[in-house]
Amino acid sequence: MSELLQLLTPEGQRLHHPDYDVDISGEELRGLYRDMVLVRRLDTEAHALQRQGELGLWPPLLGQEAAQIGAGRALRPDDYAFPTYREHGVAWTRGVDPVSLLALFRGVTNGGYDPADHGFALPTIVIGDQTLHAVGYAMGVQRDAGLDSPPGSGVISFFGDGASSQGDVNEAFVWAAVNNAPVVFFCQNNQWAISQPLSRQTRIPLYRRAEGFGFPGLRVDGNDVLAVLAITRAALDRARRGDGPSLIEAYTYRMGAHTTSDDPTRYRVETELEQWRLKDPIERVRAYLLRTGAGDRAFMDEVDQQADDMAARLRQACRDLPDPAPDAMFAHVYAEPQDLVQQEQRWWREYLGADHG
Amino acid sequence: MQTFRMPDVGEGLTEAEIVRWFVEPGEQVDVNQIVCEIETAKALVELPCPFEGTVAQLHATTGEIVPVGGDLISVETADEPPAREPVLVGYGTSNEKPVRRRRRPTTPQGTQSPEAGPPGAETKPVRHGGYEVARSTEERLTTEQPRPRTKPPVRKLAKELGIDLAAVDPTGPGAVITRADVERAAAQRQSAPTGSEQIIPVRGVMRSMAKAMVDSAFSAPHVTEWLDVEVGESLRLLDRLRERHPDHKWSPTVLAAHALVTAAVKHPRVNATFDAEAEVILVHPAVHLGLAVATERGLLVPRVANVNTMSLVQLAGAIGTTTEAARAGTLPPADLTGSTISLTNVGVFGVDGGTPILPPGQVAILCLGRVVERPWVVNGQIAVRPVVTLTLSFDHRCVDGQLGSQVLSEVAQFLHDPAVGMAG
Amino acid sequence: MGEPVTLAAALNQALHDAMDDDPKVLVMGEDVGRLGGVFRVTEGLHAKHTDARVIDTPLSESGIVGAAIGLAMRGYRPVCEIQFDGFVFPAFDQITTQLAKMHARSDGATRLPVTIRIPYGGGIGAVEHHSESPEAYFAHTAGLRIVTCSHARDGYQMLRQAITCDDPVIFLEPKRRYWDKAELGDVGEGLFQSRVVRAGGDVTVVCYGPMVRTCLEVAGLAHEEDGLSLEVIDLRSLSPLDLGPVFDSVARTGRAIVVHEAPVFGGLGAEIASRISEKCFFSLEAPVLRVGAPHAPYPPSKLEHHYLPDVDRILDAVDTVRGM
Repeated sequence: MSELLQLLTPEGQRLHHPDYDVDISGEELRGLYRDMVLVRRLDTEAHALQRQGELGLWPPLLGQEAAQIGAGRALRPDDYAFPTYREHGVAWTRGVDPVSLLALFRGVTNGGYDPADHGFALPTIVIGDQTLHAVGYAMGVQRDAGLDSPPGSGVISFFGDGASSQGDVNEAFVWAAVNNAPVVFFCQNNQWAISQPLSRQTRIPLYRRAEGFGFPGLRVDGNDVLAVLAITRAALDRARRGDGPSLIEAYTYRMGAHTTSDDPTRYRVETELEQWRLKDPIERVRAYLLRTGAGDRAFMDEVDQQADDMAARLRQACRDLPDPAPDAMFAHVYAEPQDLVQQEQRWWREYLGADHG
Repeated sequence: MQTFRMPDVGEGLTEAEIVRWFVEPGEQVDVNQIVCEIETAKALVELPCPFEGTVAQLHATTGEIVPVGGDLISVETADEPPAREPVLVGYGTSNEKPVRRRRRPTTPQGTQSPEAGPPGAETKPVRHGGYEVARSTEERLTTEQPRPRTKPPVRKLAKELGIDLAAVDPTGPGAVITRADVERAAAQRQSAPTGSEQIIPVRGVMRSMAKAMVDSAFSAPHVTEWLDVEVGESLRLLDRLRERHPDHKWSPTVLAAHALVTAAVKHPRVNATFDAEAEVILVHPAVHLGLAVATERGLLVPRVANVNTMSLVQLAGAIGTTTEAARAGTLPPADLTGSTISLTNVGVFGVDGGTPILPPGQVAILCLGRVVERPWVVNGQIAVRPVVTLTLSFDHRCVDGQLGSQVLSEVAQFLHDPAVGMAG
Repeated sequence: MGEPVTLAAALNQALHDAMDDDPKVLVMGEDVGRLGGVFRVTEGLHAKHTDARVIDTPLSESGIVGAAIGLAMRGYRPVCEIQFDGFVFPAFDQITTQLAKMHARSDGATRLPVTIRIPYGGGIGAVEHHSESPEAYFAHTAGLRIVTCSHARDGYQMLRQAITCDDPVIFLEPKRRYWDKAELGDVGEGLFQSRVVRAGGDVTVVCYGPMVRTCLEVAGLAHEEDGLSLEVIDLRSLSPLDLGPVFDSVARTGRAIVVHEAPVFGGLGAEIASRISEKCFFSLEAPVLRVGAPHAPYPPSKLEHHYLPDVDRILDAVDTVRGM
């Protein structure tokens, strides 16, 4: 395959690239490992909770840990990210408590946190809409800095291979290009849109779409956290200094189902999964840590323990999530008071307050 | 002991079939260990155990279809079951049954559409572009008199009957005019004013009189008898009394009153009250004469008390005083009630007789006509003499025809020959 | 006519039979082919008819409807699937500006016999955009026909009729009823006709789609608990509305309520209530009340049972009209 940036092979061998590389310390590397292990654990725990009836739905990110941690760790505090509904790893890097994500999929909230607190928008379930939001936000960043100055911070918009077919995503590309917006379009190509393989969405590699719109596109091994980190840093730097948008295609694989409602055995073959298992994002980092001595078994055991502890906390916290009050649905329909909503809320309270027979 | 119940694993599923168990009773299980595989309408799914412990019981067999919320597997655990059952998103599996709200009673207080409620008192003014929008969008914009409130079918009926709804008194809840209200208005309208009549409100004296008349007329069986009598001697007596006692008013009324009182003393049964409820006749010890007086305000029947103790002159004085006070309106209200037998003079209106209505509580009333010269038979020859018609109405529950006739006859005889009458 | 089948299976059967009967019928949508649809309504079609007639589309709703228009202009009879109600909006432009208007624009020359199947409604514990009731937006657009089935027998026949209809049809499928079973069989009513599903004399209950089953439950409870007899009418067709049976009913009962999952404000209940007021003015003993959702976005699933009409809220409306 042409043009697939890789800095760490599946076996854990370090590669170098003249244009995109990272100078990474042992501590940072251990940090990335810890991130990915914990994120994988939170994902599998949430999946089990759904199977136990504690969540209505869970979209797993299994296999995409490197793509998300690598991109997330390239962000600065003053950057802003627009996720889909699967970016639990990026949420992690932005300081969003995983319990907030559980709350969303448990059905106690349609949100779960204040985006402004984390520089991380709420998950968007309608496919692709968030890419336009990202461009608009980026246009705001430009205006805050002054149109003749470097924007100073960057915006990243996540979406999948399926989303690349949506009108809104293509319109976002147009807008970003003609406005020279400081936005990084980060496409996690996990090969599947529910049951639709990549071939149903495109005839050319996705990263090459960018050229048609007039900005650079690059493809990276999405299971290589170092490569993702390197390339995302570079793209964000580009944006921050005013050189405009870019497209990153993180080539990865959706190891799990689309969501817990999906049954991938109906349209995928086990051999494909086996091949991708060999490219596991965490395994290669483990191998590299052990080989270089940057991380030992004791460290890995400690991380596993941390994962167990976190999992137990998540299980309990999930079950403890309070149900919303019945009239919460009237609380924030509008920012300013609105008669009809107030009337209906009053009626509701009166109706619910009536005797229970 | 905790029990894992069938979850809704696929957004709206209702049941699933057990395909395979991976554990059996007695086995140790860890949290998230796969305990069974199920098949839903959408997929094959492995279910992980929510708790750790020893498997106590499997609640379904392979091939069995279990509804969402049904028991799957029970495990002996170290922990107590949580206070809150896992709520299975979609259909719920809490221990409590869903609470059925008692429905509101069928009175028209609340309605489903919240628009029927009062406008939002909580609405704070909002400023948009400098224009304050304080008014609730549902407030009435006008304060003019609203239309009469009623239902479409009733409105149609009123129109067909020609009834103006604005004039109908609503008796329905919420001041709504009912069908019955309209029908009643139509019935009343038979005698409704056409608009050119003078409308006199019935108040005060008129009102009391009307009530009294109705009460009496429709409870006591009235019998009326009359008698014409020649009263020359009475007239000559009155002349002499005028000369002798010029400060009193001397009229046939006074003599008739004296005659009536004399007869009442002799026949106490006509000076009584018939109490229908207690089924007793109360014979009064004293005679209090009710004297019908025409005043500006209407007919009054003031009481001249204890007339049975008065001489004729005293009676004349009392009658005069009472009549004057009644006309002047200075009588205390207590003096307008309490008479035991009454006298009314229609002769002053130029009328001979009538059918007087008993004041409530009395059983006899004498009506005096005009004194007028009439042809009369005297010693077999036609002569012209002063004659008056006397009418007596009595309550036949208490006073029968014989007594009534006797009383009337005695009064007449008195007026024909007063000297003999006053002798006893 | 045989074993009861689920609504999803009945719809699947209808698609199989429609495709067998008419080679111009195509099925298109996301995940409809190999997967058989996320609710399995298109199961087995791709195996039988291949890519030529069962098209797994790119992830692009506007594309689905836009391409269907083109296919229809070429003489095909496309049956589109929009995966969930909340995802129809990227296609809203193609549906309202093109699909609805082409016949009129062409002075009748162009027919677009496109069927758009949309699972709709809530009550399944889902995340955002999977529980909407968007029928009012479409009913408001002339040129479209909107119908909705409530159970398997209607589902089969109505879908077959919708596919053969030469006008664009939005076919709304109540997803919370997909797993309800009923026997298939002949359906007396035409596609655009309503039906009295339970006769009664006290109050007229007008409903459609997922609320039909709920209203029948309400009628059962009302009879059991209060001796009331409710007349329940399944509208089946939302545009055009077949209100004749409703007017006849209100002429007898004098009291009517309309029930739908969609919000009351600006919902189809308003249109229906208005027409009943017009035609049955002198029969009405009470205003026509509407039971639906409040004017608020569909809440997190934990609150949906408060948001959607339930038996108690519907009975409350019945009591209210009776009390007037």
